[in-house]
Amino acid sequence: MKHYDAIVIGAGNAGLTAATSLQRGGANTLLLERHNIPGGCATSFVRGEFEFEVALHQLSGLGTEKRPFIMRKIFSDLGVMDKVEFVQEHQLYRLVVPGEIDTTLPASWTGLRKKLQADFPEESENIERFMVLCEKITLEAFMTLPKARKANDESVLKASCPNYVKYGMRSSKFVFDEFFSDEKLKTILGAYWCYIGVPPKDIPFPDLAMMIYAYAAFKPWHIKGGSQAMSSALLESFIEAGGEVRFNCGAEKILTNGDVVRAVVTEDGEEISCSAVVSNASSIITYNELLDHDEPPVEVRDDFKSRRMGTSAFVMYMGLDCTPEELGVTSASNFICNSQDEELMHDGMQTMNEPVAGMLTCYNFDDPSFAPEGKSVVSLVCLQYGDLWKDIPEEKYAQTKYEFSEKLMDVVAQAFPKIRDHIEEVEVATPLTMMRYLNTPDGAIYGFKQNPQDSELFRERLDSISGLYMAGCWNNMGGFQPTYMAGSSTARAVLKRMKSDDLNKSKEMQHA
Amino acid sequence: MPNSQENEKTNVLDVVVGYQEAVKVKKELEKTGSDFSDQKWATGNAIAKLHPKRLTLEVSEIIEDTASTKTFRLVSTGSDLPPFQAGQYINLFVNIDGVETARPYAISSSPNTRAYYDLTVKRVAGGFVTPYLLDSVEVGQQLLSTGPMGTFYHNPIFHGDDLVFLAGGSGIAPARSMLKQVIDNNLNQRFHFIYASSYVDDVIFMSELRELAEQNTSFTLTEIVSRPPEGYQGRTGHVTDKLITELIGDFKGKTFYVCGPTPFNEFCQAQLETLGVEPRFVRVEANGPPAKPSELAEWPDGILPEEEIEVTVKGKGSFKAKVGEPLLNSLERNGYQAENACRSGECSLCRVKLLSGDVFNPPEAKLRASDKQFGWIHSCVAFPTEDIEILL
Repeated sequence: MKHYDAIVIGAGNAGLTAATSLQRGGANTLLLERHNIPGGCATSFVRGEFEFEVALHQLSGLGTEKRPFIMRKIFSDLGVMDKVEFVQEHQLYRLVVPGEIDTTLPASWTGLRKKLQADFPEESENIERFMVLCEKITLEAFMTLPKARKANDESVLKASCPNYVKYGMRSSKFVFDEFFSDEKLKTILGAYWCYIGVPPKDIPFPDLAMMIYAYAAFKPWHIKGGSQAMSSALLESFIEAGGEVRFNCGAEKILTNGDVVRAVVTEDGEEISCSAVVSNASSIITYNELLDHDEPPVEVRDDFKSRRMGTSAFVMYMGLDCTPEELGVTSASNFICNSQDEELMHDGMQTMNEPVAGMLTCYNFDDPSFAPEGKSVVSLVCLQYGDLWKDIPEEKYAQTKYEFSEKLMDVVAQAFPKIRDHIEEVEVATPLTMMRYLNTPDGAIYGFKQNPQDSELFRERLDSISGLYMAGCWNNMGGFQPTYMAGSSTARAVLKRMKSDDLNKSKEMQHA
Repeated sequence: MPNSQENEKTNVLDVVVGYQEAVKVKKELEKTGSDFSDQKWATGNAIAKLHPKRLTLEVSEIIEDTASTKTFRLVSTGSDLPPFQAGQYINLFVNIDGVETARPYAISSSPNTRAYYDLTVKRVAGGFVTPYLLDSVEVGQQLLSTGPMGTFYHNPIFHGDDLVFLAGGSGIAPARSMLKQVIDNNLNQRFHFIYASSYVDDVIFMSELRELAEQNTSFTLTEIVSRPPEGYQGRTGHVTDKLITELIGDFKGKTFYVCGPTPFNEFCQAQLETLGVEPRFVRVEANGPPAKPSELAEWPDGILPEEEIEVTVKGKGSFKAKVGEPLLNSLERNGYQAENACRSGECSLCRVKLLSGDVFNPPEAKLRASDKQFGWIHSCVAFPTEDIEILL
């Protein structure tokens, strides 16, 4: 019977980067995926003559060719840079609060400063200081903080991360309040919270600072052919390196000897022996359902208790028979908020009432090839907790879906009044759709709720089952860049252990 | 964490303003939180109610509609059947002489009834599955199917309330379900069926539809026969643009549903295009792979449909197949299983990865932009034009 060094369960972003890094790093790897394609939510689908991007709105961390950032190196290490094409977006976002705010921020670090200073001249100096802080704290968090933590030396930390020491554990709202007095400016700078799903009072400042700095300085990107192109490219690279993959083949069980992983049973009942398992499934399902223990290890259950369920999303994928210009699109990404009160907006995510905030992403604004000529592809999104949908009787599901669609369109129509007049195709995804395709509890799209305690500063790798690794948003931040990176870093941990095991084995051999 | 006490003493992050408070918050969360044991199996169970992968159905009744058509009433062998949107189909799995295959059939019963699904099946001359269903399936027999699927239904987000259904032959099945939904729920929708049949003695649901048209002012039925007997008094001919205009007048604000054999669908679509109906008001149900792919304009030069090629399934074996046969069919004939549902190029469940060689993808194949680059094909409408290797 064939033995694998590693079996990766799930070909989502982290599963794909983990499997590819493992195979390229010399580990004999099998990738199991219950669907018939790689990608998880990094995929697309076709209705009529439209192709819809499922999940990617703005890819971060890539940087330009002249000024590359971390994802270029990661994709290059994964062998996919010659297999995909990236399209740069030129705006961060347009934010509309009807009657209050309608502004578009450029995807340029100096352009952003100039725009904000022109619009809020009385806050000019504060804006300058704030942006310097965003840049410095991002660099500290990425570069010097990990070193200082490794050295475990307070004086090193104080000296190399002064901004982090002062603001690293502060909420975004705290920093906004300290720097600015204009509420509108705070709302404009905090708009990315609509992506994260927790209000600025609960977002650790470095997370939001990093988003603003990374998107503005290193640009937001779209992938030609959508995120499916990247998923397929990663799979291609995995196969080229000798990796084996099985589609339509979910994992049923992770078998252990005591607390050591030994095999995976597939949905067809086949038992496949392995030394390590990397699970790209949610940690809740991995430990509750896949692991062959009666209940998860205590360490895991304690970890779970400190977590809270994360948000899901309600999405309308629309093919429109008008151009982006005719629809009034001036930026690929748009946030439309009915209120500047983020608390109210977050409360709204927990009801079936009209959402307080909606997003519209237009995929053919920066990449005209993403829609047929004269037409448009847009996604309307609002984040929403999935448990609301679980109690709806199944015979009321379709009707509920359509009723909520109208509410989301009402919000978006305030900025795009013609949205209803041009619908040629529409497919609606509710939190239950996320549950169905992502197989995540409550259809969570980013794993656990991304409160400060969810941050990796408070987390260690759950290692009570030797050889079982988690890769994905359930142990890291959610979103594309974080999950791509999570898979790669998990693979490094697996490879490191493999090498030390090999070393120990060869030592034993020598002694024998 | 077992060593968190120790960690706290030595953690350098303690110097970060607010870190200790955040640790305290985490401890509070631990005290009040759940270990999510209540989530065990919850995700799969919630989804199975709406989208079961397989249903085991039992034939409770077989209704003879016409000489060529029967309605199979399928009841659940478990709990209530999943709800569906009128117009959707299920894919029915069958084993015919050792060949495992499947065909999608629109549900013709009302979505208000979840005790059974009615499938109305018309004999396809020279077909493989319809003769089996019509001649061999008996009451009491169990059949496996997918859950309800498909995108051919009334979508209130943009279809409006003024609906026209152009049905050809057994294409009346989803129309009947949609009509039942409107009538059973007293929906404020106007529905006009233009129902084309070849022969007067082979018109499915005719007496029922006539009765419903008499009883409901919001439902209009127009029958048209293309091969009338001598002396036939009713409408004859085809669903032309002139006929559509004559029957419904101004098409503005109306949504058209088209369902019938592929040539009927194409003909109707062309008529609607001639009239100037915008694509967003036209919904067409897919109906199988192209019967004669080599007659399509896109078919590659110099390739004959009866040519033989070799299909290799990586790690599993290989077999010979004809260029003109859809890959999914030849896989099934040779004992390979690929998940499938619509068998018309749309649903993408039969997607496989092409490792080498080339296939002809007709316009029915709803592929994504990146599929061509990375070799993903929909096997139900893929025609191998040379020796190929696939990943299954």
